[in-house]
Amino acid sequence: MNNENYKDIPEEELNIFSLDDDSVKEDLVKAFTGEEKEPEEVQAAVEEKAEAPAEAKAEKKAEAKAEKKAEPAPAKAVKAVKPGKKASESKAVTSGKKEGEPVGRIISVSDLKVEILLDKEVGNKDILVCECGGKEYRFEVTEMEGSIAITVPFDSVIGLRRGIDVFRIGGGLCVPYNDEIVGKIFNTYGQPLDDSKVESDAVRNVYDGNLAMDEIRIDADIMWTGIKVLDFLSPLRKGFKMGLLGGAGVGKTVLIKELIHNVYTNLNSNSVFIGCGERSREGRELYNEMVEGNLMDKITMVFGQMGENAMARSRSVTSGLTMAEYLRDEKNQDVLLFIDNIYRYVQANSEISAESGHLPIDNGYSTTMLSEISDVEERINSTENGAITSFQAIFIPADDLNDAAVHAVQQHLDGQVVLDRKVAEKGLYPAVNVFRTTSRLLDPEFVGERHARLAQEAVRYLSRYEELEEIVALIGIDELSLEDQSIFYRSRKLRNYFSQPMFVAEDFTGIPGQFVAIEDILNDVEDILTGVYDKKDESRFMYIGKARGYV
Amino acid sequence: MNNYINKIVDGKVSQINEGNNIREVGRVRKVQTYMVEVSGMTGAAYFDKVVIERPGKGEVAEGYVDRVERNGVMVALTNKYDELLIGDEAVGTGAAFSMQYSEDSIGHVIDMFGNDRLNNKRFTDLLEFPVESENTPIMERGEVKRPFHTGITGIDLMYPIGRGQRQLIIGDKKTGKTQILLDAIANQREENMLCIYCAVGKTKKEVKEIYADLLRRGAMNYTIIIAAFNDECPPTMRNTPYAAMTIAQHYMLTQARDVLICIDDLKRHADVCREIALLSGKVPGRDAYPPDIFYAHSRLLEKGCQHLNGGSITVLPVCETKGGDITDYISTNIISITDGQIVLSAKNFERGLKPAIDYGLSVSRLGGAVQTGTMKRTNAAMRRELLSYLETREVYELTNENELGQELQKKLKRGAEILSKLVQPKYSPRSEDRIVADFSELMK
Repeated sequence: MNNENYKDIPEEELNIFSLDDDSVKEDLVKAFTGEEKEPEEVQAAVEEKAEAPAEAKAEKKAEAKAEKKAEPAPAKAVKAVKPGKKASESKAVTSGKKEGEPVGRIISVSDLKVEILLDKEVGNKDILVCECGGKEYRFEVTEMEGSIAITVPFDSVIGLRRGIDVFRIGGGLCVPYNDEIVGKIFNTYGQPLDDSKVESDAVRNVYDGNLAMDEIRIDADIMWTGIKVLDFLSPLRKGFKMGLLGGAGVGKTVLIKELIHNVYTNLNSNSVFIGCGERSREGRELYNEMVEGNLMDKITMVFGQMGENAMARSRSVTSGLTMAEYLRDEKNQDVLLFIDNIYRYVQANSEISAESGHLPIDNGYSTTMLSEISDVEERINSTENGAITSFQAIFIPADDLNDAAVHAVQQHLDGQVVLDRKVAEKGLYPAVNVFRTTSRLLDPEFVGERHARLAQEAVRYLSRYEELEEIVALIGIDELSLEDQSIFYRSRKLRNYFSQPMFVAEDFTGIPGQFVAIEDILNDVEDILTGVYDKKDESRFMYIGKARGYV
Repeated sequence: MNNYINKIVDGKVSQINEGNNIREVGRVRKVQTYMVEVSGMTGAAYFDKVVIERPGKGEVAEGYVDRVERNGVMVALTNKYDELLIGDEAVGTGAAFSMQYSEDSIGHVIDMFGNDRLNNKRFTDLLEFPVESENTPIMERGEVKRPFHTGITGIDLMYPIGRGQRQLIIGDKKTGKTQILLDAIANQREENMLCIYCAVGKTKKEVKEIYADLLRRGAMNYTIIIAAFNDECPPTMRNTPYAAMTIAQHYMLTQARDVLICIDDLKRHADVCREIALLSGKVPGRDAYPPDIFYAHSRLLEKGCQHLNGGSITVLPVCETKGGDITDYISTNIISITDGQIVLSAKNFERGLKPAIDYGLSVSRLGGAVQTGTMKRTNAAMRRELLSYLETREVYELTNENELGQELQKKLKRGAEILSKLVQPKYSPRSEDRIVADFSELMK
């Protein structure tokens, strides 16, 4: 260890085990554990050892450096040897081996932070491992301070104590990067959750994958989801980033499942589903539905659910993304990427950040929140090889649309659907707030003049309706002008029309799902707005597919 | 370097001469009510049990290691028998902090240390468990589809609960949250369901009343009440729900039993977590709660599941709100963890519509999946009609009823009728057949 490193650390903070020479440590430990020695003896021993020649130290350092150099840089698709154990036994897939010599010792432990005093150099994002009480613990280096590495544990740290030797595993956190990922279900660390195995050794570090500007492709064809309100107000195309925002319990997950059902099943395109910080029950049910429907053949699932620690939740996004990149870059596929829920990624990161003692920005989010989101979102893009079309559910904490994390993610979206508790309260699902739902494509240039005009008109009607609703609550409908009355009634029909029976929600509604073509939607909206259905009762429009020929 | 080592060695040697073994014993350095900083204790592991003693006086407190620091440990006290003094001895036990549980606990009010709180006796033949046990892995979970009957029409019909579901009961003070739990427990007499009522931060009086209520209805035969009272050390309150969950898991995993666990309430639990986090110097997040408050609740509630072995843990957590606002931070956190929520409204309670369920805001994410045949059909039809009625009623409140269209008038009348059939006094459970019969007229 380097002597200079001590300078910055107050003496009282250095533990007895920070002594670099093992034999000195042994002597001391013996001395303190009952095998009493005369103070002078210890003193002598210490002096003797402390005068270790400077050359020896220099040698040690050089050795460490050489070792570091010899380590292959985590390149794309490193073919490397896996740790001796079976994948299911080890905690994570990495491209490197556990090194024989310890790199340091643990000096402090808390929930999400373990500090390690280093004898050797380690790099940022390196994986360290130690054993204690028959259990293996893994950490990832996130910060360094002098000769102390601050690491985040992959799992619970119960039972971990000071002074334990820590070893390094080269290559950092990696996930399988080969054909075998398709049709499997993984945890954050790239291990299959079912009984299957990944035989191939091709893995890739989850942190690299940044795209240069010239690699990104921006033009593509429009694609339809068959969900009325989405296609009408928030159309999307390949390579699009669609956000599904909503508070707790207003139907984000149902909508994402419906999108999987409609888009994945119809396009039969390769997909990656990332379950980040959501319910294990839902993850399990989605998996069951996929298996029962024989739909697993083109989907890869990665789960870091809400019962797991912050590290597992946070890194599930980067792991899943790496697999999506494999399909795009190596297999030249168009990929659908479903993330449920990207907010949990931000949340997990703020848990880690807070535990490291960083000052929070508003509402306790991590200091580096904006750059963390950008790191991930900038990787979700289309290239000449293929498109990544992503659907990202975003939880709105405390129903606060102005939340800093929600804003930060919104900045990256091409379109968004906002789900609203006030709409859900009325029993209208999907509970879309039409005023906040937007898309970059809702423009005559992309969707045509008719669609854009109708959308504009519909929003105008509904916005007037909102105002009228308050007036009506005060004075009653009869007092409204005739024009306002017709806006009032037509808007209510329109609002009901945008509710839709979903394939995945048949259990709730008791009505089979409906896929509605865009032409039908445009016709129906036009009919409602022009008064074709003025004589019909509004409740006829609840939970139907297309209206023409039905109402 | 020389000087530096000399200094350390000198320091340690003088400690040895004083008779302190720095490996296992530490000294209390700082006391902040129940968070205690201890120097030394090099061998202590994270979450180890620690006993604090004073020479000549014996044990003064117990706790666990909350954080291992570079030059000491932070101890959270779970039991405090006396005020602590600087310099008191902290002794590491070398074993993890754990809970004790006896299988004779059924029918008793217990705490997480194996004591019977009613007669202040300790159970014999205690089992020892880690406070938090492993979550059921995703692949060992089954589908939630078997119904769990509370006997309350508004829940069983409209927002049904399945075995293995987590359904939140949320509402203001005095809106009947606890009563729903008690109704649900009392209705399990014929169901071979083990019930656990976990009280966090309730008063002793409240818990005693709950005990008496359940005892009177014969429900204590299959119920355990595990309580951390209001005046206990906050770290105990924080850990008790996890301990209760561990008991539930014990029965689910070893006997494949169906277990119901009620946690009353999580808002108080969140406040306790906040208190501890702030005292131990953690960075505060939204509303000063620690940033990992979501995880504190998510890992607790994720233990509720339908296990592939046939057993299940159904969880009914309670969350108290203020002014009917279910969109505050803790409430939305818990709503986003659970599989649905029963919202109770103070207004309905005042109107005498009991149970005071707000049918618009309540949700069950499993819905008809946990219902069978007729119930499922009745649910789909009646719930849609009721919600539409509630919304329409509001809009047309001022309109002269006679001027409304025929269809609308009929709809309002039917809606009112559905609502009246959902009113139900406490402890008067209705069976599925009875519920179906009640609504059969309206279904035609």
